[in-house]
Amino acid sequence: MDLIDIIKDSYYIMQKDLLGLRRNHTSLAALILLPIAFLLMFGFIFPGANTQEHIPVGMVDLDNGSASNAFVAQIDTMNKNSGAMNIENFSSVEAAKTQINRGNLYGTFIIPPGFSDNLTNGKSANVIVYVDNSNPQVSAQIESTASNTITGLNGMQAQINVLKMGSTTNKTMNTQAIVFPFTQNIETAIPGKTNYFNFLAPGLMIMIVMITVMTGIPEAISKEKEMGTFDGMLSAPINQVSIILGYTASLCVKGFSQCILVLVIAIIFFGVTIQGSIILAFFLLLLGIFSFVGIGILAVAASKDQATGTTIVNLIMFPMMFLAGIFYPIQQMPWFMQDISKIIPLTYAADAMRKVMLLNANINDVLIQILILLVFGLVTMGIAIPLFRKSMTT
Amino acid sequence: MVEYALEVNKLTKKFGNFTAVNDLSLNVKQNEIFGFLGPNGAGKSTTIRMLCTLAKPTSGSAKIAGYDLIKDPSKVRQKIGLVAEKMIMYEDLTAAENLRFFGKIYKMPKKKREERIDQLLNLVDMEKWKDTQISKFSTGMKQRINVIRALLPEPEILFMDEPTLGLDPQTTFAIREIIRDINNKGVTVILTTHAMTEAELLSDHIAIIDHGEVAALDTPQNLKNILYKSDTSIFTTKIMNLTHNMIEKVRSLNVVTALAQQDDQNLKISARGAGSLNQIIDAIRVEGGDIFSITNSNESTLEDVFLTVTGKEIRDHATDKSNILQHSTPQSRVR
Repeated sequence: MDLIDIIKDSYYIMQKDLLGLRRNHTSLAALILLPIAFLLMFGFIFPGANTQEHIPVGMVDLDNGSASNAFVAQIDTMNKNSGAMNIENFSSVEAAKTQINRGNLYGTFIIPPGFSDNLTNGKSANVIVYVDNSNPQVSAQIESTASNTITGLNGMQAQINVLKMGSTTNKTMNTQAIVFPFTQNIETAIPGKTNYFNFLAPGLMIMIVMITVMTGIPEAISKEKEMGTFDGMLSAPINQVSIILGYTASLCVKGFSQCILVLVIAIIFFGVTIQGSIILAFFLLLLGIFSFVGIGILAVAASKDQATGTTIVNLIMFPMMFLAGIFYPIQQMPWFMQDISKIIPLTYAADAMRKVMLLNANINDVLIQILILLVFGLVTMGIAIPLFRKSMTT
Repeated sequence: MVEYALEVNKLTKKFGNFTAVNDLSLNVKQNEIFGFLGPNGAGKSTTIRMLCTLAKPTSGSAKIAGYDLIKDPSKVRQKIGLVAEKMIMYEDLTAAENLRFFGKIYKMPKKKREERIDQLLNLVDMEKWKDTQISKFSTGMKQRINVIRALLPEPEILFMDEPTLGLDPQTTFAIREIIRDINNKGVTVILTTHAMTEAELLSDHIAIIDHGEVAALDTPQNLKNILYKSDTSIFTTKIMNLTHNMIEKVRSLNVVTALAQQDDQNLKISARGAGSLNQIIDAIRVEGGDIFSITNSNESTLEDVFLTVTGKEIRDHATDKSNILQHSTPQSRVR
């Protein structure tokens, strides 16, 4: 059987499968809804830093002096920019704590009596930040706002003090350079403002293709077997490899359509920008498919019915989804998890996709990932195809 | 042209410890209709699956249209068509799209393919359903498409596994007509069936398969003659007050080789040896049976041959006591 026939037959099988999809409106709807659901779901349930808004926080000003007013004004100014907190005034500490215990507040600022006096008398003025640390992310955000406010106030006060000292010694001083001798300018690899979707979109694309192909292969083959149509193909003069190739091609078309959908939604609705080459990204998608399609074929060869095949695939797929650094960076995981993620092909595919799409990396920058995916694919296919052929004629 | 469409030599298929097909050897001439008749689990379908390259024989060999099954499966596939027990069709596609897909993977040139699709749809009277989805068809319509799907690439040998199972009489008749028609055009047909009448009506030769082995192989007429010449006699007796005890009593006789209850009064008994009739009458009367009539079958039907050779139906029915009053269907099918 020569190669041209295999390719032709694969094409016919793909054509047939896609035609069936066009007729089956339920499958078609599921195909479109899956990426949308994933994008919205994962986009909103995994918050990035400082993304929370309108956190209810209390303010108890027991001092009511000039310094406490300055503190409140400073917090208000910062909050106006970020919209992070909704600040409510309370007359007593107990009233605020009661609201915290009832879950109506996540924390409160307490300005103790004598706050302003301490400052004018050359003592430190201390603000108490009382937080509900049962919610670590929210409490961290309140703490950081408080600490930023204090830093800001300290800087302003220090500049005033330096200016005073300068006037007594009759020297002109650069107060900024004395108070803040160290400064930083942050420049980002990705121009413009980035958000969690920038991180999410490339990984999500490769993950959707993986789900579509890996669950699709056992589903398609088992359906053929259970319907009896498989016998029709196997008793025809075609190579068994074209059946696998045909279905993979068909699933690639489906997966790629989903990817384009993800990309369009991410760009239009979530402000994701694409820096790198789309062609290289799609090449990586294809390579990603090549690297894990073998696992899907193995699942088919090892299982008698669709349920078993799907179970095997899910067993392999779910850890891959969560350990491949699609939803959060691998560097955040404990070391042993990082080691596991290093043996998952999806990790390299997602990494390479992200580098190309966000950092404008070229083919040389992701050469190692490409090699790893290629080797992984060759090995799994090398095991899977003979097993699949063997399982066909029992 | 080779003389035999099928040369099967000691074909064996084992599933673990279970032997589904055991040392099966037979030849089928070109342009015959050859019937495999046998109870469920006899190994008919497994044999067909092996001959269609869908299952690997454990041992033995076969030549199909002159090509070796093991060494040259792809050549074999070019020569055969398959009507399997499960229909080979995609429900989401239309009749024409299904046929077109299979035409393509059989590498039929486009013009010829389209002509043949129209011609075959015409043959089964389905032209106006050409562009309708299979899922909207009745079972009979589906089976007609299923049969012409197998005929599309003009196979030399057509394998049909239970082609009329579960079909209404009209479709059954139509399918049998098609089988005769394509056979007249030179196609060898290998058929498996439970239905005696079908095997008898269609087949040039019949192999009765039981426990994966050929229990008998001849023309339908010769098979019936074998029975006629032997000392086995088959008769039907009508007993007005038939009871379960009578049936058990008769069945326990050594001379009785097979027994089937046909309805609440009629028993079909197969017995062997001299004086067997007397013993049976005695047994019934001991139980107080009121024998209304005893009819000896002058000409045995293929069903009688089948019963004698396999003996299956009797044991199946006798063990299933709840079924005793239910076997009055005119056409006998062996389970």
